[in-house]
Amino acid sequence: MDAITRIKQLGMPRRNNELWTFFPVNKIQAPEFPSECTCDEDFASEDDFAALLPIACNARQLVKTIADDENEMAMLKCNNDFGRTVLNIGKNAKASIEILDNKVMHEICAERFDINVAEGAELEIFFANPANDLPLTFRHFDIKQAANSTVHFANVLQDSGIGRISARVELNGEGANFDYRSLNILKGNASKHQRLTILHNAPSTVSTQFVRNILDENAYASYDGQVVVGNNCSQVNSSQLVNTILLSDGPSVSVKPVLKIYHDDVECTHGNTVGELDKDQMFYLTSRGIPADKAREMLTKAFAKELFLELPDGAAKKRLMQAL
Amino acid sequence: MLSIKNLKASIEDGTQILKGINLEVKPGEVHAIMGPNGSGKSTLSKVIAGHPAYTVNDGSVTLDGKDLLSMEICDRANSGLFISTQYPTEIPGVNNVEFLQMALNSKRAYLGLEPLADADFKKLCEEKMAMLEMDDRYRDRGVNDGFSGGEKKRNEILQMAILDPKVSFLDETDSGLDIDALRIVAHGINQIMSPEKAVILVTHYQRLLDYIKPTYVHVLRHGKIILSGGPELALKLEEQGYDWIEEN
Repeated sequence: MDAITRIKQLGMPRRNNELWTFFPVNKIQAPEFPSECTCDEDFASEDDFAALLPIACNARQLVKTIADDENEMAMLKCNNDFGRTVLNIGKNAKASIEILDNKVMHEICAERFDINVAEGAELEIFFANPANDLPLTFRHFDIKQAANSTVHFANVLQDSGIGRISARVELNGEGANFDYRSLNILKGNASKHQRLTILHNAPSTVSTQFVRNILDENAYASYDGQVVVGNNCSQVNSSQLVNTILLSDGPSVSVKPVLKIYHDDVECTHGNTVGELDKDQMFYLTSRGIPADKAREMLTKAFAKELFLELPDGAAKKRLMQAL
Repeated sequence: MLSIKNLKASIEDGTQILKGINLEVKPGEVHAIMGPNGSGKSTLSKVIAGHPAYTVNDGSVTLDGKDLLSMEICDRANSGLFISTQYPTEIPGVNNVEFLQMALNSKRAYLGLEPLADADFKKLCEEKMAMLEMDDRYRDRGVNDGFSGGEKKRNEILQMAILDPKVSFLDETDSGLDIDALRIVAHGINQIMSPEKAVILVTHYQRLLDYIKPTYVHVLRHGKIILSGGPELALKLEEQGYDWIEEN
């Protein structure tokens, strides 16, 4: 079944669909689809509107392959009209991918990334786009990791529109490691939603999901993260942590961690904090003569930067730190 | 210089901690404040600095004639007040040296001066760090982040040295210091001290006062200064504790 047929079959997203609980679905207008879908894959089992939309709307597809054992860090900038980008990272290869803003297509800006990471490969994929006012953006990532592969996925979101990042990650080989770090700096009426599903399909796999929100005015952020540990998957380690700072009375945040664990020998944690800037830290800085607005800025920046400190030194860390 | 008159302050639930403090501090003086735990010593420094957890109910605090209590927290500091708390706050992610530079340049802006050039600040910082025998590890870390108790206290005195305040209120600066660190920190405070400045030391022990000679020693109890005297008072307190004061 092609993507257009499947998306029409599912219909437009509704709030009572658990995948879209936190999203203002009334903002999504039904797009005009092309007469036929050129992607011939079977999407009969895909049930996420955001994953189907880029395929259904845009015929263009980009395929990038990094050969086995390619050790040089490659920088690919996916700033284009492609609805779908397929990335194949070869065995033991190392790659660094920066995603730049794409252009608006139809009424909705949507793109999908299908990423296959072979055994022993290392990938860092990141975006830190400057604030923009795109009305509605979707980015969907479908990531499949083989044994002993590592993916660092990091982003800074600070645009003012409505956006959703969804990711479905399969850790299919023993020792695979997926690390997700996302920072939302939102104000105005910005509304950002993240939905992640991590499937631990092999033993000794590791996943981390660290999200930080700095929200002001009427901004809204949501995190809906699901971790599934399959049976026969021992020694799995998974962490989910969402920290939010509310800079005023207006913003709000929703956090929903979900754990489905089918094996005893695992360590899975989740946590969530929501608060204001630390009062003692504010007092300390101002008691040294630093004006309150500057102290607030220093603490906010420190909170943001801390998220990326543990990234390995490389292009992603450099770019994200620069963006802050 | 620093004049505290009938200062009364309470915490959020209305409990009054300071019940009428009177203290006059003149240039060149070192005042030691001693007293049992819970007597209000730490509260006094925080109230003067403007900590939001406390409400001033009565009294006044002036520095060189300026009403400190009506000022913003940062303006109190930039007017020449420095407080070092018993447990310095950790601020991960805010670089220690960048913080120091920001603090110094905030003070200079308040005083109508240009920011200190980076090279000049670096030189100043190196000079003060050498005085306190501090190594380069202090530069790259977050403010007090992961510091031991002694390292935090040393870092506080570094800030005092760079900000060059008129009046420094040091709350248990000697706690957490080993013998060598105590000597180095006390030496640093003596170096910073001058006839134009004043220091208020809160301490439980004579050992700090062996290095920094106080002009006056005060006993604070139940939110009031109940006894004042010269350096000999500290020696007597060390020997006999506080009970004899109430007995008399």
